[in-house]
Amino acid sequence: MRAVTLASIRAHAARLVASTLAIVIAVGFVVATLVLNQTSKATVLEAAGAEYVDTDVVVTSEGSADLAAQVDAVAAVDGVRAVDPTWETSVQAVVPGRSGAQYLLVDSVAGDPGLRWQQMAAGSLPVRPGEIAVSERVGASVGDVFPVTTYDADGNQATTDVTVTGVVDLGGDPSAGLFGRAFATAAQAQEWSAYPTELRIAGSSGADRSALADSVRTALAGEGVVVRTGPEEAEHAAAALTGDTEWLTAILLVFATVAVFVAGLVIANTFAVLLAQRTRDLALLRCVGATARQVRHSVLAEAALTGLAASVLGVLAGIGLSAAVSAIVASTDSPVPLSGISVPFTAVAAGMAVGTVTTVLAALAPARAATRVAPLAALRPADPAPLRSRGGVVRLVSGLLLFLGGAALMGLGVATSEILLSLPGGLLSFLGTVLLAQRAVPPVVAAAGGLLSRVGGVPGRLASGNATRNPRRTAATATALLIGVTLTTAMVVGASSTRATAQAGLAAAYPVDVVVSAEGEQVPASLPGQLESVDGVVGGTVLTAATLTGPDGSATRAVGVDPAQAQPVLRSTSDLTLPEQGQVVLPAWAADSWDAHAGDTVTLTAPGDRSRLLTVVAGETDYPLLTAVDLQGLAPEAAPDTLWLRLADDADQSATIDEVTDVTGAALSTARVTGLASERAAIDSVLDVLLLVVTGLLGVAVLIALIGVGNTLALSVVERRQESGLLRALGLTRGQLRGLLAWEAVLVAGVAAVLGVLLGGAYGLIGAASVLGELGEIVLSVPWLQVGAIVVVATVAGLLASVLPARRAARTPPVAAIAG
Amino acid sequence: MSVPVLTVPGESPASLLAAVRATGLRKTYGKGETAVHALAGVDVSFARGAFTAIMGPSGSGKSTLMHCLAGLDSATAGEVWLGDTELTSLRDDQLTTLRRERIGFVFQSFNLLPVLNAQENILLPMQLAGQRPDRDWMDAVIGRLGLRDRLRHRPYELSGGQQQRVAVARALLPRPDVVFADEPTGNLDSSAGAEVLGLLRSSVRETGQTVVMVTHDPVAAAYADRVVLLADGRLAGEVHQPTTDSIINALRGLGA
Repeated sequence: MRAVTLASIRAHAARLVASTLAIVIAVGFVVATLVLNQTSKATVLEAAGAEYVDTDVVVTSEGSADLAAQVDAVAAVDGVRAVDPTWETSVQAVVPGRSGAQYLLVDSVAGDPGLRWQQMAAGSLPVRPGEIAVSERVGASVGDVFPVTTYDADGNQATTDVTVTGVVDLGGDPSAGLFGRAFATAAQAQEWSAYPTELRIAGSSGADRSALADSVRTALAGEGVVVRTGPEEAEHAAAALTGDTEWLTAILLVFATVAVFVAGLVIANTFAVLLAQRTRDLALLRCVGATARQVRHSVLAEAALTGLAASVLGVLAGIGLSAAVSAIVASTDSPVPLSGISVPFTAVAAGMAVGTVTTVLAALAPARAATRVAPLAALRPADPAPLRSRGGVVRLVSGLLLFLGGAALMGLGVATSEILLSLPGGLLSFLGTVLLAQRAVPPVVAAAGGLLSRVGGVPGRLASGNATRNPRRTAATATALLIGVTLTTAMVVGASSTRATAQAGLAAAYPVDVVVSAEGEQVPASLPGQLESVDGVVGGTVLTAATLTGPDGSATRAVGVDPAQAQPVLRSTSDLTLPEQGQVVLPAWAADSWDAHAGDTVTLTAPGDRSRLLTVVAGETDYPLLTAVDLQGLAPEAAPDTLWLRLADDADQSATIDEVTDVTGAALSTARVTGLASERAAIDSVLDVLLLVVTGLLGVAVLIALIGVGNTLALSVVERRQESGLLRALGLTRGQLRGLLAWEAVLVAGVAAVLGVLLGGAYGLIGAASVLGELGEIVLSVPWLQVGAIVVVATVAGLLASVLPARRAARTPPVAAIAG
Repeated sequence: MSVPVLTVPGESPASLLAAVRATGLRKTYGKGETAVHALAGVDVSFARGAFTAIMGPSGSGKSTLMHCLAGLDSATAGEVWLGDTELTSLRDDQLTTLRRERIGFVFQSFNLLPVLNAQENILLPMQLAGQRPDRDWMDAVIGRLGLRDRLRHRPYELSGGQQQRVAVARALLPRPDVVFADEPTGNLDSSAGAEVLGLLRSSVRETGQTVVMVTHDPVAAAYADRVVLLADGRLAGEVHQPTTDSIINALRGLGA
């Protein structure tokens, strides 16, 4: 049988390679994730380790222990050659060529040369006060002189000039890109109010590090310090930095799992088709004397070897991808630590295992099905009856149970706003859907096909017939795509709802885009007009202010607003209610002091004995808010005091706010500009980036599914060679034959896409409702444009997947196909 | 049934009567030393309204000849005329259109599309041509072939003989210039085979349909009006008004 297996692989090599592209991609994803994770850990460790590589023992404080006081105690320990505290502080530096003051973290340079770890990119370390070495991010060169400002414990500031003696190369340190670092002598650092963060200890040569650490630990027992060897300290520092990357890796692996699952489905489907074509070969083997089990094992061995080969390719692809990502990231100045690649054996092993096991598992069912056909029946020349799916009551029942159970959990999760209920519910119901897909998808395809036959003429009718003749195959192909589309849509819809809710919440809490307050002065008459003409400002309203006296005699600032003018400027009035004439909105403190709540009336008086009875209305405000007309009536001297501005939704928020600040500053130097538009824009951009990344990762699964569609089509084209020949003989042109296959692809891909967005949309809304429910009012939003785009892209991609197989089919001459 | 003859000066009556003919037809596969000359120069014509059989030992080129005559395969040299249309100069799309409108096919096996039922299979070429069938003619054909209660069945629900009858109905429906049958009874038992051959012959007798059949079976060939013999890619003789015995004798003379 071994000879048969190997010969079989050789004969079908090309088809197998194309079929296992799915595994290559999935394995590549898994391997890339693991390799990048390991690389970032290794990079961070290297960077952290660089600081401690020559240090034998490190002492840090657990809480408030004064390390400086321990120096003598440590120096007295047997085997300690040198002790050096690292003094740390921060300064503000104005570096030539850079605008504004820059934050610098200052560390002292060890007195003992053996304890110095800094690598110099240029120049040398400082040797006396007034000198510093800087990291590359600071942007200074050797010889530069600039002022640094420090603040002592009492808040007094002191400025000194320093000279740069050298530039330090921080290597792969993740913080290198975030802020600047400087190194000064211990004396200089202490002048700048530094405090000791650690003690570095060098042992006499030949000393055992752990033994030394033990001795030091004993000497300092009870002092509230932590003693570690140098390498241990390096790992400790590295671990703190990589905590986040572990979390990121876990998320990436979730996506990788989805990709592997989809790849498994694709492989199962592909093998089913491959084996169906070889039914006669396999039946012949059995006629000749091979048992069913031998044939099955041969098929599985083929699958295992194929999976192995594909996994090797996948591992190589994953490593290559990681190298590329690492190179790109390293060339930019990002805080993600990646330099070179570090390939752990576990990544390679995991990739190989995942790929091979998935392929073999996927081939199990098709192998069993293929060997179940009776030998002689398979050798008869008659066309086989179309494969009826075997029902499988178990599958149907379990699918229904999972689906309904999951749906119930999700309902509960939405009602109680508990994502921990909805998420498992979603997973269960999705599993149920996948199981039910085999029953549910073919009828939908048939229905869509019915529509197509009416419109598409003979090719349409044939395409619809072909798509439904093998329900199991159609369902398998569609399911793979369904998974990818469902997940993507769920993410898109969920993110959209999240964004809409977050924005609504923000709008309610902070309904004004930009507030310009004159801080007690009067807003110049020209300013409103000037500001409204700023690019990006679409509306504004002026608020007046005056001092009124409340019913308890206390004076308070009161603000007058023109509700009609203010309405369009505000983003939301759910929290900030606008008063009508005769009403006043009281802040909580006033409502309490004056004992006046919604519905009560309160009298406010102004100098000159004018008073007014006003009805209290509930709302969020800092000062009593009346209509401008009412305020004017009470205090004619009420002057414009504040401006509320609304920005265009698509404006560059920060640029607009900058310009508003400039214009305001020119008109009134004491004015203050605050803007919340930029907070909203920041949230939007974070969500956008997140969504883009997630969609990209899910795109891998969708790509694999589309490869599955193309594969199935290509194999079915080969399977239907005779049919295609007959059609060509009877008068179907090449173009019509290509159209036939295109319609088949569009049918399956289209149905999968539509079902996927319906399902995914539901999941996304449910997920959003569960997560956001406790945040208050939920805004559910479906981004129709993006959802429509997903359907279109998936269908068109399915169409593209059919192009190559269709060209192949159209090229076969009619007679060759029949004779074959 | 007689066919009216129009004599045009310069044209021989025989060529006007020919439904399909070939002149100097060559078909070579491969090149140089490994070249296979399937057809080595064949001149043959097939009369309208006649049932002609092409016979020969295996490797004689009879199937190749039929494929070239039907526009299914291209010739290396020579010409093929279907009526007054020359096939070898046509493009693939034109050939395809020609096949669907003017030629009918019955193959040895795999005649029907499994996804369509019997009626849809019968109507397929006409639908591809975008034509509506003549209702009466269709009824007559279906009735004569005894398929009326099988119309909604799929191919796998029909016996071999029934499938071939559906194929014959499909071939006859558009009333093509020629019906080409390639070993139509090869997979059938003798009674089903006799049925199909009888139907082909009656279509020739009753409606003047031209039928060209390739076969290796002398019993089948005896149903024809004329048998053309092929050997080694060349014409090797003819038998008119054949009987099974006269055909067997002729074949023996070929050294078959």
